[in-house]
Amino acid sequence: MANDGIDFDLRPGEVHALLGENGAGKSTLMSILYGLYHPDEGEIRVNGEPVRVDSPSQAIDLGIGMVHQHFMLVPVMTVTENIVLGGEPRRRGGLLDVREGARRVHELSERYGLAVDPEAVIEDVSVGAQQRVEIIKTLYRDARILVLDEPTAVLTAQETAELFEVLRTLRADGVSIVFISHKLGEVLEIADRVTVLRRGKKVDTVPTAGATEQSLARLMVGRDVLLRVEKPEIELGPPVLEVDDLDVRDDRGLEAVRGVSLNVRGGEIVALAGVDGNGQHELVEAIAGLRDTEAGTVAIAGQQVGGHGVRATCDAGVAHIPEDRQLRGLVLDFTLAENLALREYRSPPLSRAGWLNVGRINARARSLLHEFDVRGGSESTLAGSLSGGNQQKVCIAREIASNPRLLIAHQPTRGLDVGAIEFVHQRLIAERDKGRGVLLVSLESEEVRSLADRILVIYEGRIVGEFPPDASEEELGFAMTGGKGRAAA
Amino acid sequence: MSDPLEGPLTAQTPASRLAAYIRGGGVIVPLLTALLAFAIGGLVVLLTGNDPIATYRAIFDGTGLQWLFPWVTGDDRTTAALNLQQTLIVTTPLILVGLAVAFAFRAGLFNIGGQGQYIVGSIAAVWVGSSFAGMPGFLHIVLAIAAACLAGAFWAAIAGLLKATVGANEVISTIMLNYIALWIGVYLFALGGPLQNDRDPSVPVSNDIVESAHLPVFWGDPVLQGLHVGLFIALAAVVVFWLLLNRSTIGYEVRAVGLNPEAARYGGMNVAKNYVLVMAVCGLFAGMAGALDVLGWEFRLATNDIQASQIGFLGIAVALLGRNTAVGTVAAALLFGALVSGTSQRNLDPSIFPPELASNLTLIIQGLVVLVVSADVLVLGVLRRGRGLLLRRRRPAPAPEAEA
Amino acid sequence: MSAKQIGWAGVVLGAVAWYIALPPLLVRTPAPSLLLALVAVAAGVASARAGERRLGRGAMLAGVVGGIGAVVATKSGVGNLEKVFVWSALFAATLRFATPLLFGALGGIMSERSGVINVGLEGMMLMGAFFGIFGADLFGNWFLGMLSGIAAGGAMAFVHAVFSIALRADQVVSGVAVNLLALGLTGYIFIAHYGDQGTPGEIPSVPEVKLPLVKDIPFVGDAIGEMSLLTWLALLLVPLMALYLYRTPAGLRLRSVGEKPRAADSVGIRVLRTRYLAVVASGCLAGLGGVYLSIALVHSFNQGMTAGRGFIALAVVIFGAWRPYGALAGACLFGFSSAVAQRLPAFSESLAVLFQALPYLLVLVVVAGLIGRSRPPAAIGVPYVKE
Repeated sequence: MANDGIDFDLRPGEVHALLGENGAGKSTLMSILYGLYHPDEGEIRVNGEPVRVDSPSQAIDLGIGMVHQHFMLVPVMTVTENIVLGGEPRRRGGLLDVREGARRVHELSERYGLAVDPEAVIEDVSVGAQQRVEIIKTLYRDARILVLDEPTAVLTAQETAELFEVLRTLRADGVSIVFISHKLGEVLEIADRVTVLRRGKKVDTVPTAGATEQSLARLMVGRDVLLRVEKPEIELGPPVLEVDDLDVRDDRGLEAVRGVSLNVRGGEIVALAGVDGNGQHELVEAIAGLRDTEAGTVAIAGQQVGGHGVRATCDAGVAHIPEDRQLRGLVLDFTLAENLALREYRSPPLSRAGWLNVGRINARARSLLHEFDVRGGSESTLAGSLSGGNQQKVCIAREIASNPRLLIAHQPTRGLDVGAIEFVHQRLIAERDKGRGVLLVSLESEEVRSLADRILVIYEGRIVGEFPPDASEEELGFAMTGGKGRAAA
Repeated sequence: MSDPLEGPLTAQTPASRLAAYIRGGGVIVPLLTALLAFAIGGLVVLLTGNDPIATYRAIFDGTGLQWLFPWVTGDDRTTAALNLQQTLIVTTPLILVGLAVAFAFRAGLFNIGGQGQYIVGSIAAVWVGSSFAGMPGFLHIVLAIAAACLAGAFWAAIAGLLKATVGANEVISTIMLNYIALWIGVYLFALGGPLQNDRDPSVPVSNDIVESAHLPVFWGDPVLQGLHVGLFIALAAVVVFWLLLNRSTIGYEVRAVGLNPEAARYGGMNVAKNYVLVMAVCGLFAGMAGALDVLGWEFRLATNDIQASQIGFLGIAVALLGRNTAVGTVAAALLFGALVSGTSQRNLDPSIFPPELASNLTLIIQGLVVLVVSADVLVLGVLRRGRGLLLRRRRPAPAPEAEA
Repeated sequence: MSAKQIGWAGVVLGAVAWYIALPPLLVRTPAPSLLLALVAVAAGVASARAGERRLGRGAMLAGVVGGIGAVVATKSGVGNLEKVFVWSALFAATLRFATPLLFGALGGIMSERSGVINVGLEGMMLMGAFFGIFGADLFGNWFLGMLSGIAAGGAMAFVHAVFSIALRADQVVSGVAVNLLALGLTGYIFIAHYGDQGTPGEIPSVPEVKLPLVKDIPFVGDAIGEMSLLTWLALLLVPLMALYLYRTPAGLRLRSVGEKPRAADSVGIRVLRTRYLAVVASGCLAGLGGVYLSIALVHSFNQGMTAGRGFIALAVVIFGAWRPYGALAGACLFGFSSAVAQRLPAFSESLAVLFQALPYLLVLVVVAGLIGRSRPPAAIGVPYVKE
């Protein structure tokens, strides 16, 4: 259940923050408000009237506007075209009145300080400007309630400051704003009240006056007892991964990883902690050979591999449990045996001279499925028919079976149930105990703290601090959300 | 995802959709597809004032398939045998062009260029087969077939290369290559063309295949166009197709790229290189089809043969109906082979249904088959809804990870 | 000069390089042409370097083709050249060949801008060709024939729409099916109705527009003084389509549906309905192209008479980057190559056959050189499923 009996009220002319960790249910709540999901129970009232919101257009009619995390903009169209789409001003004769549209865009942009060029094409303008277009789009439709889903996740510090100016202007104009975030400092800066969610339930609603980052962090992560996993002390081996001053660009060509240096030695789990979208994705792809590097070096056990492709990286001893097992980790229409061969199908004993040894492939699959306790199918079952946890076990089995020097585990427990999570954790520890290096990338600070020997925090593409595993939740959360208060340990 | 039917609606590639189709329908769905197509085709026959049942009956008689029934004896049996030989002669290249389309599909590519690849293959075969007169027969045949395979592979690889290097859509490039091949072929054998025959300059046809390079006939009379051994070569190609796809590392890569290019890249495969390779293999099959026709029963290539041929397009229907599998392709090729030969001038009783109409009926049925097959989601949706009602499964609530 | 201007200059220079070697200038040494061609290629490279990759490649291509063309021309006999390159006749023929391509391409733009790939243009055009002449014969009236052809193209498109939009079929497979179906259906009815005789000779045809004054102007008169009504209609449709796409609310919505249906849906635009209408309109336009073929150009029907024009129209759509004026340019380019190919037999009877492949080869070259770089509507080929 993503939302469980949550009460939420929004006053006219306030900025109300929704605070919670990834997966706490913030976006789900707002999607219900915007008519994208339907509640199983409970009701929505706008200005005291109970309403039904079945579709976004009904939400628009009710004066609700939403700025999605992923913008609903047409990249090849102009700012004006995007804003007027669906409610176009017309000239006599039914033609599109672009000038009138641009005039109104200009008017709204002046009034609320939302600087946009009405003629610019969306894909040519910055992410911040695209966000402003989204906000104008809601205002163009006379929204009085504005929902912003993690609006600062994609913005630079400068752009964030500008956004806050705009929000203050809107608030002064009587617009009510829901501000979804997990960055404490921003919430304190902009919001009037904060509602904190944890695991689909409301923890509390408090005014920001008098609250501190520490008090909010405590509400957000709770006081759950940490499940300490037993880890024997072992002697660290030589470095298996050395990353030096690495720069990587994302798909849009923007710098996603900036000057990252890190190393992982045999026999340790190094966790890379951070809020989603701070460059982890690109960093992992670069290390795994899936993405070209811009500058800097990656070495596996002393051997340079940066930019040499997946195969070279793999041969050098890197195994990689990918972030999205269904998109990347598995071919869902392949059998489990075929999926388990994805790394090593080219070399003996799985194949010889270009011909697969199906007997070997199946035999190995059987033993791996047994060893990793994969349930719900045999070696001839299609991967797509397994549950998420068992699919993940297949991925892990394959990667570990390749006897890697370095195991990269990218959000290995995402979407899994408790039992499966425990299994994954144990396997990672076991690899560490065998003297292998493990680079764990996770958004869950609890997972990070219970598994890691060292914790690196990544923020906006840079490593902003290194912590021991006994660092407090508050301390980590603080660093992950860009808090600059305390120096790294 | 615990439901095997959950995949296809979100699946990315044609290959994975078709893979889901195989799982969802088994052998029943292709049969229903074919039946539906024949039923609608019958409707067309009815609307134009003919009796569909008698027509299909006559077509069936033309296929010679009743030879398989032990109670057919005497003259009927002799005629049936002759007709069945014709059916199998048509089936032979259909198997191969079907493989040419199916192999591409398995790699997530759409090869509409089977026709062009078939044409260049037959040109190469007729050129080799009509030259080198003194060569030993077996060697000559092998050489001609190899030349045809290479020509087809080269022709198809152009489209693969264009896709791999500049991202040109293979649908358009293979279609254009079809027309280019066609006009090259017509040019070569036309009046004054470089490969026109040496005997009669007024006939736009190639030289004849040297007698010793004819494929041996193993059933029926060679003079009456009996069944040549090309059928076995085609069946051998089916085995090769199956082995290549299911037992070789190349086939493993081809299937992975077809089902999930992203995972294939993650597994270290070179997706672009795969496109060229896959197209080349497709062209090889289609080129071989051209060779078997030329060496097996045509023995020469006339310009109007090249212009009238539609076999490459039939290959699309064969592959789709056969679900891009080895066995399915053979079955679908036999079906369409029977349809083509049953509706031919030679085999169809003209008093019941005009054969020149019947060849268009074949096209209609072919189109309907492809159309119904294309709507895999329709079939799966119906199946899923049926199961959903039975099991009363509820749609799972959006998982929290949907937030990310 | 901007990169764009340099690119266009390159394209023009490439054309000029060839032109000066042809009548009436007839420069008989290749050197000046080659020099111009070289400049054209250089301009292309410069333009591509400066960011205009597509146009730059176009200029390079124009330079290479122009250079080769010029060399070939200087090696050919003057007599032959003068027989082939009668410019007014070539121009008229270009428009004749371009008309069906233009109708098909405008149809393709409609469909693909809404996000539905239309490989079925060929079949829809064929339906238009047959039912155009069939209707004209039946009703004894070209206008009703034209309407039948349009309706037949639209009906075929509706089949494609149902399968690719509602049933979420693979759009390419569905398009191929439509082509086969149209080939069989038209062939069947054609033979059932007309038998071996073929279509009769005296079927009413689309009138030609004779421009009384223009007809007497030397060059222009021969070129456009006597064109089919449908050619004029096709040319008129180009600005109309541009107006629709870029200057009307409906056009804006159509484009948004093809680019990002989820965004369109979020502001209340009905995605599926928009796509249905666009695909059917696409079939109607392609059908009109077929009508032109059967009752304006050839005045008869034969099986499969569209001969890949629907596919070329599809390539024209891509060549023109999904824009009406781009499609006009593409249709004229391919029309010109057909026109030249048709007149080349003056050189050699047997080679004449080979020249028939020229338009298709040109498509392939353009696909390789340019098309890979142009950007299709983002949502093309992806069935839309509401959240």
